[in-house]
Amino acid sequence: MEDEQKIVIGDMVLRRQDLFEGEEMARRERAKLPFEEKIKILVHLQKLAYSWGRKKDVIIWEI
Amino acid sequence: MKNALNVLNELKEKGLIKDYAIGGAIAALRWTEPFFTQDLDIFIVLEKEADEKGVIILSPIYEYLKSKGYVWKGHWIMIEGVPVDIFPADPLEKEAIEEAEEAEYEGVKTKVIIPEHLIALFLRAGRDKDLRKVQMLLEQCEIDRERLQSILTQYGLDEKFRDFEEKCYGR
Repeated sequence: MEDEQKIVIGDMVLRRQDLFEGEEMARRERAKLPFEEKIKILVHLQKLAYSWGRKKDVIIWEI
Repeated sequence: MKNALNVLNELKEKGLIKDYAIGGAIAALRWTEPFFTQDLDIFIVLEKEADEKGVIILSPIYEYLKSKGYVWKGHWIMIEGVPVDIFPADPLEKEAIEEAEEAEYEGVKTKVIIPEHLIALFLRAGRDKDLRKVQMLLEQCEIDRERLQSILTQYGLDEKFRDFEEKCYGR
C-alpha cells in the first residue's frame, strides 16, 4: 500500500502521511510571514514565471 | 507596491473615494502562504454611489490617475509599476471594506479584507482559482467560524459553501 510506504532519512522513519502533514505545517508557518516579505516572494515568483516559465506577458511589480 | 498604496490613499484624501480595501489574491496572500498572482484588486466605496440612472461613475478617479501619468495596460491601470483593478463595491464588498483590517505596508496605512469576507467573495465568484483560495484560507489561517457562517447566511452563500465542502473535503 502506498500509504504504508516508509521513508528513511537518517535516524527518522517517516510515512508518506508524515511528509504531507509536515508540508501542511510549513504552509501554515509561511502564512505567518510579514506582508512585506510575502510581496517580495510574490515578485520573485513573477520573475520566475517570466524567465523560467517563459510567460512573457507577466508583469513584474515594482516594489 | 508602497507607492501604489500611497496613490490609493491620495484618492481617499482628495475625496475621490470614501474608502477602499485590498481584496482578491493579494488580500488572500496577506493571510496565506505566498502564491503567484499578477494584479492588485482594490474595492472602493464612492462618495457618490450612482447617478439618477443608476450608473456608477468612475471617470473622476481615472481622470485623476491619468493626470498623474498612469496608463492602461489591458484592463489594468498601472499605478507605480503595479497593475491595479478597481471595483466599485456592492453590498457584500462594502461590508468587507468596512470590516477590513487596518494594516501597514512599509509604513503606509492600508486596509485588507479579512479572511471571512474573502471566503464569501471567492465562493460567490466560484471559479476554480477562487475555490483554491477558499481552501487555502480555511487551511492556513485562523477563521472565525461564527462570523463566517453569519456572512454566508446573510448573503445567501450557505449552499455554495456546503457544495464546496462536499467537493473539497467530502463532507
